[in-house]
Amino acid sequence: MRNITYVEAIREAMSQEMRANQDVFILGEDIGIYGGAFGVTNGMIEEFGPERVRNTPISEAAISGCAVGAAMTGMRPILELQFSDFITIAMDNIVNQAAKMRYMFGGKANVPVVIRTPGGSGAGFAAQHSQSLEAWMAHIPGLKVVQPSTPYDAKGLLKAAINDDNPVMFYEHKMLYGVRGDVPEETYEIPLGKADIKKEGTDVTIVATSMMVHKSLEAAKLLEEEGISVEVIDPRTLVPLDKETILHSVRKTGRVIVVYEAVKRGGYGAEIASMIGESDVFDYLDAPIMRLGGRAVPMPYNAFLEQKAVPQVEDIVQACKTIMNK
Amino acid sequence: MATKVVMPKLGATMEQGTIVNWLVKVGEKVEYGEPLVEVLTDKVNIEVEAEMDGVLLKTCFEAEEVVQVHDVIAYIGEEGEVIEDTEDETLQQASASSNSGAQETTKEIIPEKLTGTESQAKIRRTPAARKLAKENNLSLEIVQGTGPKGRIQKADVEEHLRYSIQKTKATPLAKKIAHSNHLDLGQIQGSGVNGKVVRDDVLKHSKAEMDASVHAVKKTSFTGMRKVIADRMVQSAYTAPHVTLTSEIDMTNCVNMRKELLPIIEKQNGYRLSFNEVIVKAVAHTLQNHLSLNVSLQNDEIIHYSTINIGFAVAVPNGLVVPVVKNANQKGLAAITEECKTLGSLAREGKLLPDHMKDGTFTISNLGMYAVDAFTPIINQPEAAILGVGRIQEKPVGVNGEIKLRSMMTLSLSFDHRIVDGAPAAEFLTDLKNVLENPYKLII
Repeated sequence: MRNITYVEAIREAMSQEMRANQDVFILGEDIGIYGGAFGVTNGMIEEFGPERVRNTPISEAAISGCAVGAAMTGMRPILELQFSDFITIAMDNIVNQAAKMRYMFGGKANVPVVIRTPGGSGAGFAAQHSQSLEAWMAHIPGLKVVQPSTPYDAKGLLKAAINDDNPVMFYEHKMLYGVRGDVPEETYEIPLGKADIKKEGTDVTIVATSMMVHKSLEAAKLLEEEGISVEVIDPRTLVPLDKETILHSVRKTGRVIVVYEAVKRGGYGAEIASMIGESDVFDYLDAPIMRLGGRAVPMPYNAFLEQKAVPQVEDIVQACKTIMNK
Repeated sequence: MATKVVMPKLGATMEQGTIVNWLVKVGEKVEYGEPLVEVLTDKVNIEVEAEMDGVLLKTCFEAEEVVQVHDVIAYIGEEGEVIEDTEDETLQQASASSNSGAQETTKEIIPEKLTGTESQAKIRRTPAARKLAKENNLSLEIVQGTGPKGRIQKADVEEHLRYSIQKTKATPLAKKIAHSNHLDLGQIQGSGVNGKVVRDDVLKHSKAEMDASVHAVKKTSFTGMRKVIADRMVQSAYTAPHVTLTSEIDMTNCVNMRKELLPIIEKQNGYRLSFNEVIVKAVAHTLQNHLSLNVSLQNDEIIHYSTINIGFAVAVPNGLVVPVVKNANQKGLAAITEECKTLGSLAREGKLLPDHMKDGTFTISNLGMYAVDAFTPIINQPEAAILGVGRIQEKPVGVNGEIKLRSMMTLSLSFDHRIVDGAPAAEFLTDLKNVLENPYKLII
């Protein structure tokens, strides 16, 4: 199988869907000749032309309004927001319009829009370009929220998102763009709401999202040497959430740590933790559920402080030892 | 800022101490070095001194309470300083937050304090542990938790089950009855096939327990010295293979010697020589030629001692202690008498210091004042041997073809067969008999 990057996988998903369906088009700032802030749409304007690869003014409010309107009138727009932090400017269109239309019109209007946007820290982009705000969107009824961690997942999930008749927030991670992985050339979809077991284990379940999947896998490898067997579950989509896979794993291990990059307080990890606590898996818990998340600070510019603000491999190792009482 | 006073660790093995009484009242001034509280350690009462000047602001424990080493027992600070009662504070916080849900508390609330009256709530256990216990009809009250703060985890329950399954087989009905009555099946003798515990066994056990509680006049906690003695006896009895040799000694010459020496020693230092001291001296003297018994086994090493330090067991209220006469082989009978008498009275007053009981290499347990002829003493570990002394009694004995009345006494030598063999032990006992039967050898 081919080994391609996360960026290439996303581009391939969009290109394949655009070839297959004339209603699909992409829009965003500098996505044409420039190829987007992270080069995700590189070369797409050559194949699909400026009609379907639309450069927009620098106004997230305008782009999102345009995308929602287009979706309601039968198109399937893919909107790229340069940084997920800028969602604040598009908030009304997404939260008050896109998320509610289908419900408010009694099912007579669909909003099949995908909002692709890079989140997360690690690139030294400081406080306004490094946040992980997915919990905001997961809170809104009517929005689906996706967070792929590998190139394979990114391609399959993006295709599913494009073909979904509801608005989907598609959170990419800027530090994952260069990560390579095996991705089949042919078209395939990963259904939204299907978690993936990234690594099997028996002692502790780590439920990790996005970048934290990779850090957790690294931690799991170190812990393996110390005799602690870690299972790493990647929910892949926060909404809908694959409760079954998570609960099944926790039932097996009896211990769970939810690891996420967003600020721990009020983060989506709390949702996962509560979901486990409220389920019948409660009786299988052999330690309090643990959360490992970012510190409640604006993301520092200083590279060292930036690292300190979000969970690192050694933090995950330590958390596993703590929960194992070792 | 008030300073915390903690339960001191007064010996390598000390894990908890009992507050005997406070020598200073709350609110009174204390000075550096002034006795503050009397503490009962494993075996002795010790006065703990204040480590600073100030006012005793608060005591955390009453007399007779058992406290873990390093736990805070009191606060010393400046006059008028207030020590917050953390327990009360926790309770107040908890009730405040339950009254108004919106109130945010920054301090963690410890739920166990809230429900401390319910015995069930005191046990910390994970849901998984609880589930497994329930499935096996096991009461978690009898499971030891090894998790944080003593939390019972699944592994603890599994361990308990493995142990009790190994130990006890029981019918489902017996299990059910035992569970509902909080009885540990492991404690019940089974009368079924292969020792299986059946319903009647549980009922009988339950009745016996009830009877026992009906007839019991009072219950005392199994802690402090009693617990230490118990632990050490069990450990010694189970780890050291005890072999006991007995020999009858003709003490007639000793009796005569004591009669002669008693007034001399009494005149010299005021202490009355007793047979105990004669035996201490004789044992120390004999051991010099049998150093293979003057050893101890510690951490897989046999330690050979050149000094001979003889411990002698002294009964005290609620237990026994073993003060040690150091270098007993180098001391005369007068000195040994003085030392034994002094240590004995310190022991009975509970004033022995840890130093008085340290470094023994051989112990004598003398029951000669009772109607006991011979017994099996348990070795005072890590020592290798112990000598049990019986009473002296006139008996008809054959001497040169004639039957004569002689003062006879039986010695019982228990030795740790891991490090001492039978022959050297027997040789020691033979030589000791020889010395005691010809006691003037002691002054040569």
